Amino acid sequence: MTPTSADIEAHVITLLQEIARDWDYAGDIGPGTRLFADLGFESLDAVILGTAIQERYQRPMPFAQLLADIGQRSTPELTVGELVSFVQLHVSQRMVRA
Amino acid sequence: MQPRVVIIGLDGATFQVLDPLMKQGVMPFLARFAAEGTRAGLRTIVPALTPPAWTSLMTGRSPGHHGVFDFFRMDSRDSRLIRFTTSSDVACETIWSAASRQRRRVTTLNFPLMFPAPRIEGHVVAGWVPWKQLRLACHPEGLFDRLRSLPGFDQRELAMDIKLEERATEGCSNPDEYAPWIELHIRREQHWFEILEHLMDTDPSHLTAVLFDGVDKLQHLCWRFIAASPDTEWRESWERRAFELCREYFRRLDGIVELICARAGRDARIFIASDHGFGPTRQVFHVNAWLERQGYLAWADGLEPDARDPALLGVGRVARHTFQMDWTRTRAFATTPTSNGIYINEFPDRPQDEYFAMRERISDELRRLRHPGTGQRVVRQIYTREEAFAGPFSSMAPDLTLELHDGGLVSILPSDHVFSERPTVAGAHRPVGVFLAKGPGIRAGVTSPELSILDVAPTVLYSLGLAVAEDLEGAVPESIFEAGVLESRPVERAAAAGAPVREPAPVAALDADQEAIVMRRLQELGYVE
Repeated sequence: MTPTSADIEAHVITLLQEIARDWDYAGDIGPGTRLFADLGFESLDAVILGTAIQERYQRPMPFAQLLADIGQRSTPELTVGELVSFVQLHVSQRMVRA
Repeated sequence: MQPRVVIIGLDGATFQVLDPLMKQGVMPFLARFAAEGTRAGLRTIVPALTPPAWTSLMTGRSPGHHGVFDFFRMDSRDSRLIRFTTSSDVACETIWSAASRQRRRVTTLNFPLMFPAPRIEGHVVAGWVPWKQLRLACHPEGLFDRLRSLPGFDQRELAMDIKLEERATEGCSNPDEYAPWIELHIRREQHWFEILEHLMDTDPSHLTAVLFDGVDKLQHLCWRFIAASPDTEWRESWERRAFELCREYFRRLDGIVELICARAGRDARIFIASDHGFGPTRQVFHVNAWLERQGYLAWADGLEPDARDPALLGVGRVARHTFQMDWTRTRAFATTPTSNGIYINEFPDRPQDEYFAMRERISDELRRLRHPGTGQRVVRQIYTREEAFAGPFSSMAPDLTLELHDGGLVSILPSDHVFSERPTVAGAHRPVGVFLAKGPGIRAGVTSPELSILDVAPTVLYSLGLAVAEDLEGAVPESIFEAGVLESRPVERAAAAGAPVREPAPVAALDADQEAIVMRRLQELGYVE
């Protein structure tokens, strides 16, 4: 069955919930959760997560650009909601091109 | 019964270290293994660096063909974006996939460039993955939970902690950090062994492989302790402790190798290999500072040279430093501190002759460059990308790759000086690593002429009873086999497997409302205007 954008959001959040459980993160994970401040991610964690998401959807996405943009800001941060939006945008763009 | 093969990877192992340890009784099992099997120097590819070298061992192809040149890669030839190299970048079939495709079960643990894990028949735990993401590095589904239920499982120690990894090349900030850091690697190797032992016992494979990467890391940071003779007089107690712990690391590693071999049994062929050798380094060549002085590189206005610690190489700043360059005025630059590579910024509106002229000019200037203190040439060898990286991915490779006279790595950080000295001797990669083999049909007590790291893949496939693809660049070396082995079962060649194929998964497009929400979020993020 073809996943919808809601499926993408559910997948990203489930993925984060799964790995966060492995290191005993007790808080809820939702669109407002911050990857760096709340989950304690370092930049390489975000890179690896991005790679896993690309692998899931078998599509290249410009995560390096996303992280570079975030890195240029005064407070580098990425929320789960922003990440989901980024994935949705690039998945849908690929669909339109295809 | 189908043949079985075990590969034990010792990242960065060199006979310069192992031979004295074998002789001094620190590694008695390895000494017996070498005496009862075949040993050889194993020449690696250019550059002598973990990701491209292990990828060459795993694929039997050189970097120009498999497409891996470094831990990091630029997003595209004209991009400033640098990203982590992943298994998706490996353009050739690995021995794990080749064996799995031909119905051999495979277990492969802790090898780099294995994330995301390939969907092979067997088990994969990819190496070089941050500890928080280890679940994502395991295949098949359920393997991580199986491993997590093992007694003493600690993913934080098993996988990578980037801050700890940086110490291998950047150094410890104070002497108290050495002992815990070495002890961590002793525990980590034991941990990888326990996982391997569990999988060998409960779900054995035809091809079983594990990489112990502490050898490389300890040699980087602790070369002076590892290379020291047992009767060295240490001035400080922490130095003696570090020396003893390094020997303890190798003693424990020897015990682990013995246990793996015992589990594999006498009918398995066992290969021990490293991705490159090792040697001492003292100097740091600030290559981007030199390029700046020569007029090839310009830092953005207002950027202060990093004078806090001139010996730093800048591993933690890889993704940022290209944004610190003035891209309109930079013609040549080094992007990473690990590959010793220089890229030339090819402006599309300039003739290509200009590119070749500039590359030759930079090469000439580097050949003439001498260290102001020693008077020695700084660069031993310079490879153009055509020389070192022939193949379909040549255009993604550095335009020039340097082998430094000192054997060390360049620094990419801005600096107000071109050379600096490390406070103490460190370890750095060298082109010749180790190869040891033992098992049915392997010659005993023999030192073979030097082999190529590209020979390992065909040798492993042959030992599994499989055909060797025609496009593999190495050979099955006659020198390691007993008389008659290759005659009784000649090497069978097969058509090249071609690049790994990844099918895109179907995904629905966003509807208008969903797209509006997405765009609003991305605008908040600053990702779209």
